[in-house]
Amino acid sequence: MTLTYRAGPKDDLIWHGLDSMTLLFHRPSGITHMLADPAPAILEVMEEAPLTAVEIASRLRAQFDVEPGADMENIILARLEELSALGLVSRDSR
Amino acid sequence: MTAMHQIHLKIGPAAFRIASAWRQPLDQLAALYRDYPAPVDDGVDFTVRLEPEKPWRRHLRPSVHIGGDFWLPDAAPLPLAQGLLAAEMGMNLQMALGWRRHLLLHASSVEKDGKALVMTGLSGSGKSTLSAMLAERGWRFMGDEFALLSLETGEIFPFPRLISLKNQAIAAMQNLAPESRFGPEMKATPKGDIRHLVPPTEAVARMDEPARPALLLFPRFGHEPVLRDMGQAEIFVRLTQASTNYVALGEAGFRALTRFVDEVPTRAMDYQSVEQAEEMIEGLWSQLP
Repeated sequence: MTLTYRAGPKDDLIWHGLDSMTLLFHRPSGITHMLADPAPAILEVMEEAPLTAVEIASRLRAQFDVEPGADMENIILARLEELSALGLVSRDSR
Repeated sequence: MTAMHQIHLKIGPAAFRIASAWRQPLDQLAALYRDYPAPVDDGVDFTVRLEPEKPWRRHLRPSVHIGGDFWLPDAAPLPLAQGLLAAEMGMNLQMALGWRRHLLLHASSVEKDGKALVMTGLSGSGKSTLSAMLAERGWRFMGDEFALLSLETGEIFPFPRLISLKNQAIAAMQNLAPESRFGPEMKATPKGDIRHLVPPTEAVARMDEPARPALLLFPRFGHEPVLRDMGQAEIFVRLTQASTNYVALGEAGFRALTRFVDEVPTRAMDYQSVEQAEEMIEGLWSQLP
């Protein structure tokens, strides 16, 4: 069984870039989140599909310049757990 | 039930009914707000009630309890001699907790050339005193407590209630404004010595006129004079803290505040005297587009 993560519906979020952070207004809860990189990039590449950390890592590599040698899967997993605690992604398995 | 006296006041877009068990605070309010337009109809946004803390205390060492549509359970009663302060605190409280038509920023604001300077910061930052001072030096006073940010247009609407001067600011303003514009001096209130100042006539006459925000300052009194750039993330967070209704307004509040942060140049300003602050402000103002 593999753990997967799925971002909430796109229309639930209003994105707004600040100079060093990204603001996300979550419509269903009315909560404003302020995220630092790479959390916004993770959400962006997830779209609305259920994905594993490995799949998200490969999507990130395809779209962004990723530092070689970085322990991406673990960094992504840690951010996904934080995003899950915030209610911005949900956990599932396949 | 105690018989209540009452008065209606309109300050900027907000209409208040102040009901009081005593005449004295209302007479003082009526005198200080004498040049404000009367509300056009009986519709009021908020009611503030000044009542005896306990019925039998009305005459015996009377103590004023602040009530109204919105209230805080820990609002301490004030002695009757501070009834005017109680009324002003009551009006602020209704705005802070109940206003929904604008994003409310705990900030002072003044206008010149059709553009607004907004100043926000913690209590003691000097934002109120600076707005009062600038209002005597060619700026239009818009408010010393709340700046009302339009959810639709992004403009700042005035809320020019009485200016609440504290401690040293009282003597400083007595040098600039005639005695007839001052309310009674209230010593040793929970907020220190307080004296209210009626805003300049122009501020009242133009209290329905908004202005586009052109500069946001975070003043800090008592430090070596310096202007500092601030990151947008810091500005945004501090403005959410300075707003009493950001959360309540939901998406409309988010859109108004992000627009404000995008559009309005912002600086932190440390200063040690009003003269220094004025010089820095005029310098920044002259560089605006």
